[in-house]
Amino acid sequence: MELKGRVWKFGKDVDTDELFAGRFMMGGDETSRSQYQEFIAKSGLSDVGHRDNVPGDFLKKVVKGDIIVAEENFGIGSSRQQAAETLKFKGVQAVVADSIHRIFFRNFWNLGCPAIDLPGISVAFETGHEIAINLRGGTIKNLTTGREFEFSLIIPSWFIDMVEAGGLIPYHQSIQNVKSKSKSAR
Amino acid sequence: MTLVEKILAKKAGKKAVRPDQIVEVSVDRAMIHDALGAHTIARFRELGVKKVWDPAKIVVVLDHYVPNKDIDTAKKCLNIKKFVLEQGIEDYYEVGKGGIAHQVLVEKGHVLPGTILVAVDSHTTTSGVMGAFATGIGVDEMAVVFKTGKLWERVPGTIRINVEGKLKPPIMSKDLMLLILKRLGVSGALFKSLQYTGLTVSQMSIESRMVLTNMAIESGATNGIIEPDQKTLDFLKTRTNQPFEVIQSDPNAEYAETLEFQADDIKQPMVAVPSKPSNAVGVTEVEGTKIDQAFIGSCTNGRLEDLRMAARILKGRKVDRFTKVIVIPASQEVLKAALAEGLIAIFVEAGAVIGPPTCGPCMEAHMGILGPGEVCISTANRNFQGRVGDVTAKIYLASPATVAASALKGKISDPREFF
Repeated sequence: MELKGRVWKFGKDVDTDELFAGRFMMGGDETSRSQYQEFIAKSGLSDVGHRDNVPGDFLKKVVKGDIIVAEENFGIGSSRQQAAETLKFKGVQAVVADSIHRIFFRNFWNLGCPAIDLPGISVAFETGHEIAINLRGGTIKNLTTGREFEFSLIIPSWFIDMVEAGGLIPYHQSIQNVKSKSKSAR
Repeated sequence: MTLVEKILAKKAGKKAVRPDQIVEVSVDRAMIHDALGAHTIARFRELGVKKVWDPAKIVVVLDHYVPNKDIDTAKKCLNIKKFVLEQGIEDYYEVGKGGIAHQVLVEKGHVLPGTILVAVDSHTTTSGVMGAFATGIGVDEMAVVFKTGKLWERVPGTIRINVEGKLKPPIMSKDLMLLILKRLGVSGALFKSLQYTGLTVSQMSIESRMVLTNMAIESGATNGIIEPDQKTLDFLKTRTNQPFEVIQSDPNAEYAETLEFQADDIKQPMVAVPSKPSNAVGVTEVEGTKIDQAFIGSCTNGRLEDLRMAARILKGRKVDRFTKVIVIPASQEVLKAALAEGLIAIFVEAGAVIGPPTCGPCMEAHMGILGPGEVCISTANRNFQGRVGDVTAKIYLASPATVAASALKGKISDPREFF
């Protein structure tokens, strides 16, 4: 599975309150996927411009398929999944960082979006670079500079299948379908 | 193996596990609260099963946005209540019955030594105080736990935090924890476990220990944990009749690292300055900083001993006339005890407002929200920019003693002056 996109360079310690402020946590109708997605995309990263670890023009210029490359400790803080959802619904397809906070790491993968931690990776990228990630092969390439890096992830064996299924919920739905089909076949 | 490794091995049905191994474990308790509960339920319903794996293992606590502040929050709580009734979940704490989830989980005996607790909240680490593996997860993952009772985990290597010596009041376990965070930084323990050991920790009350496990997450740790001892067992005796197995680290356990701290070296109360919990400085460095709000409460520092310490400083005195002073007991049980001891009367006499046992202004949720440029000193756990309201507000983290002293003067103050 290969992901390609344009890079947004983020700084260190991007926290979940910054990605999604507490004031919006009870908004949105979570029973309607489309309404909810619209609400999260509208509410997330509300304070950009006041922080030095997110580019000021990110909200205006981010497009579907972009990839964030961040310095250390990405996603520090709360378990609020809205923080990860904000990035996904803004169009970000993957996050690569020097290090990633455990709960954000899990949440982002669970949405079907890879989060890749590789110490030292951030110095090799700037905003606007083109990046290619080979998920199964374990390589990251800066297509602008030509530099290539290897990574190995500490994740469950079924994780990339899960990403290909579209996330944790669709993955479990597909397992359920396989199970019920094999039952009815009997 | 370390304590955490032994718990994860046992719950994965394995003889042994090693750090960074991926394991699948069975969950003993799963908790949702009102901030992410309705969201969890919506995702659970998408999974195509009718019933949760075990309603007796689920705890539901309303604590973030209750009593409901608007129609949105009321609707989500209604959804949660409907789910609780439909699934036959017994351990449901409506507002007025429980308090802050992390406090309720421990004080109602829902967390047993050697077990695994997950919840949709990063401060779930608090419950590690009982010698359990307790950690936070997101809502999609919780939906799957509700269906399967299983969780995957990356076995965290253990960083041992060994503390010797005596904390000299009014220096509290919060001051120690802020110092520990200063050493570790906010990412010093990513995918690691913090295990607290040493004489200082064993001499601490359960309440003081909970500050250490609560703020373990602020170092990026997967969990925080303390080996059960006689105090833990005495605490549990009156709170549960469920059987449990006390698990302890092997004598030859391998630690990723051991950090030594001397409690006697903490000469003055600590304050974490904006905007990271790891930004600790001695109180004298920021003494005199003007404040608009002082908050005593939260899952970090809203327990009886915290209120006792604050009351000792506020007794017979008046808080600054322009400072909003908010005191919120962590649970109904804490509130009841504080009432019986006359602590609430002391706070009211001093000019503080008492909030219902909920999360309060630990985050931008329900009340005590900060406006542009406001400064708050808080006993809570995070001081990120925008954590409690406007992005230009500033939050300082400190102990209940330091916050109480600051409330009196309307500026950051050294509690030793009033002690």
